[in-house]
Amino acid sequence: MHAETTAGHVILGWSAAWVATVIFVAVYVMVVLEKLNRAILALLGAGLMILGGVLTQEAAVRGIDFNTIGLLLGMMVIVGITGKCGVFQFLAIWSAKKVRARPMGVLFMLSIVTGVLSAFLDNVTTVLLIVPVTLLITEELKVKPYPYLISEVLFSNIGGTATLIGDPPNIMIGSSVGLTFNDFVLHLTPAILLVMPATLIPIFLIWRKDLVTTEAAMEKVMRFNDREAITDLRLLKQSMFVLACVISGFILAHALHVEPATVAMFGAAVLLLLDNLGRSADEQSKNVHHAFAEVEWVTLIFFLGLFILVHGLEVSGVIAKMAQALLAATGGDRNVTVIAILWGSAILSAFIDNIPFVATMIPLIKSMASTFGGSHALLPLWWALSLGACLGGNGTLIGASANLVVAGMAERAGQPIRFMAYLKSCFLLMVLSVAVCHLYLWLRYL
Amino acid sequence: MTAKDLLNPHPVTITMEETFGGALEILLERHIRALPVLDSAGIYRGMFYLYDLWELLLPKAATIEGAITDLSFMPGSVEELREKVLEAGPRPVTQFLKDKEAPAIHPETSIKEAILMLYHHDGVLPVVEKKTRRFLGILTPWEILNRLRDKG
Repeated sequence: MHAETTAGHVILGWSAAWVATVIFVAVYVMVVLEKLNRAILALLGAGLMILGGVLTQEAAVRGIDFNTIGLLLGMMVIVGITGKCGVFQFLAIWSAKKVRARPMGVLFMLSIVTGVLSAFLDNVTTVLLIVPVTLLITEELKVKPYPYLISEVLFSNIGGTATLIGDPPNIMIGSSVGLTFNDFVLHLTPAILLVMPATLIPIFLIWRKDLVTTEAAMEKVMRFNDREAITDLRLLKQSMFVLACVISGFILAHALHVEPATVAMFGAAVLLLLDNLGRSADEQSKNVHHAFAEVEWVTLIFFLGLFILVHGLEVSGVIAKMAQALLAATGGDRNVTVIAILWGSAILSAFIDNIPFVATMIPLIKSMASTFGGSHALLPLWWALSLGACLGGNGTLIGASANLVVAGMAERAGQPIRFMAYLKSCFLLMVLSVAVCHLYLWLRYL
Repeated sequence: MTAKDLLNPHPVTITMEETFGGALEILLERHIRALPVLDSAGIYRGMFYLYDLWELLLPKAATIEGAITDLSFMPGSVEELREKVLEAGPRPVTQFLKDKEAPAIHPETSIKEAILMLYHHDGVLPVVEKKTRRFLGILTPWEILNRLRDKG
């Protein structure tokens, strides 16, 4: 417990732990009920942590992980600008043509493209860019878009799990624990390479009968001119240059003693500079305004509030008590704890937002270091948390933001994805992917 | 001045039984861009726009706001588009009426409010009785332009 960081004037004579728990649980329940926007709730909760006397304002600010915020903000700006040049449409059309527009081949290719892009960009942006082209291609092929959209949802979350920057839980874990881009590539990417075929094969078996079309329809897609999809060649070159530098920066960050947020924010600044060189002051102002308008401020504000909420739990000693309870439940056995975290995170993340869940789990797992013999012994627990929390999002239609975005677009295109229909096929696919990870963790670490 | 002083009380209208193909024929013959759809009791049920034809001819993904903003990579032929129109021809026009169309105005709506709506929707504003939604006429940019010229 870090009593020195609490404000010292806790309301109603309650202990700081009680006040923090009540605020945290109330915010959590409201987030799950989805009656109020989650950013409003997190900010309200953060304010109450300070006004309720659990934290001072200084302590609250210290609780914010600015490395996570900076990394997300930088990548959002880079992706927002890059998306304007049409490169993602190009990739989708090019990959569909590579398989002669055969429906099953297109499904495989678009799933892989979604997975790979999600590993480097945020999942919501990836599906926002790939789903419209998918709808276009399936309309021309006269096949149901449903299996394609489902597969893209699954692969956006699967691909996002593979790297430090692919999914917010990984960014949070990496930043808070000091795990590097390369650590994630070495430990999580192999698991994801196993999960990908384990998901694609059942998708093939479930939907293969729906994926039939005519030669004439395939010929229509083959006539698409992928090069025409690039709408701004200059911007394409600039974005690819900056993205390549940023990814290299992530790989070298640890060796150069630079934090990932610095790499992402500097990359965003360079891309903004390149995109605005030679423009008039008025144009620059519009362009920069547009670039920042693309940032998902709701998510970032939610993160800010959440970090303060979790910090309140941490300094008031609640996290330490929760960790003791979890250790008691698993008998203090590290291997049992790893597996419990993997499956527990997966099942919970299928129904609740994985970001607050992971934010709570991070200090909880950290506090187990002494029990398991030092922070190095915690590594498999971090991987279990990441794999469970990220892949668990595939279990239901509300499990991850990308799922909801695809459902929204599908609805507007007249192809709604229903909650129960999704649950029937995808919950089992999620369980299968977690089972693969269970095997991976067991063989490699336990 | 309000909508009641400006409206065209006798525009071409169609019934709910009209087909997509029939409505297109009327738009083409009369060189107009929109047709109010009325039920048998003269109640306003929606507006059929030329816009509905464009929506039919485009891929669905291109009509989702912000999803695809450029179709230069996608070739097309008149035959292929004509096929789509022929397929949709027998469908009732009511299947094409949507919420996003310009909302109806009332006889008491002020000229400034009507101009603001034309500014946002650039189309044809149906004028209906407030409570019953009985159709009274339409207000287009032409009625306003004519009135501006008269006073000049």
